Amino acid sequence: MSTPDTNTQVAPHGRTTGAGRLLITVYGIFAISATVRASFQIIFHFADAPLAYLLSAFAAVVYIVATISLAKPGPGWAKLATISICIELVGVLVIGAASVIDPAAFPHATVWSTFGRGYGFVPLLLPIIGLIWLYRHRESK
Amino acid sequence: MTVDAWFIIGTIVGLGSTITCIVAAAMKKKPNDITLLTLAAVELFIVAYAIGSLVRILGGQHMVGEPWEFWGYMFTAAMLPVAGFYWAMMERTHWSNYVMSAVGITVVVMLARMAQIWYGTSMAAQALQQGIGS
Repeated sequence: MSTPDTNTQVAPHGRTTGAGRLLITVYGIFAISATVRASFQIIFHFADAPLAYLLSAFAAVVYIVATISLAKPGPGWAKLATISICIELVGVLVIGAASVIDPAAFPHATVWSTFGRGYGFVPLLLPIIGLIWLYRHRESK
Repeated sequence: MTVDAWFIIGTIVGLGSTITCIVAAAMKKKPNDITLLTLAAVELFIVAYAIGSLVRILGGQHMVGEPWEFWGYMFTAAMLPVAGFYWAMMERTHWSNYVMSAVGITVVVMLARMAQIWYGTSMAAQALQQGIGS
């Protein structure tokens, strides 16, 4: 039987446990729904709005990478998670701003249009929460 | 979108599961029979909804939107409680209840989207669809 005190074992993997699992869950839901939606758009309606649907596909890839790298322990994965979430934050800010300034250029909604309003602004909050989480659980060298 | 009995029942089951899991998590409880059963109820509802939708289609009803998208949402919604259960069981702390609470609300959002696909987003969109033709 293992010893009841597991603090020393748990500490190095704090990033992927507890509240981290909830964060990974939400990222996972976005990864799945963005992938399914982008696949559907590209397979059946690609000619309607190639740019918007390619952006949807790009967003889906970013969410998949973020989900996997958040779930994997270790500094290398933490770095990849940080990079992918930074790209996600830039994406939602740039696409969000562009869709507000020039709505005509984005007639077909992407997950990041108007800062993710169609998804309750969760796409805007998620990268901010993700980066705070990664900062608080950074591994000292 | 049109609100039907399926959506109302699904919303009650889904939100019920989410609220139950959040309350259990806030009380720092580990996943127990009650929270797991609410997740099972969500899964049971989706199976019933899938069979019901199949019966309606075989009975001659047509959905306004794309069947591919409708069944894609159905399949993803059916996988969520299973994935949530598996993911929660890998670490049995009160955080697992928060993880499971995400399942019900997500299924409700997907049910809303499925109702839009089935009935059309609005009367205007429906008229447009007929104008364009199939």
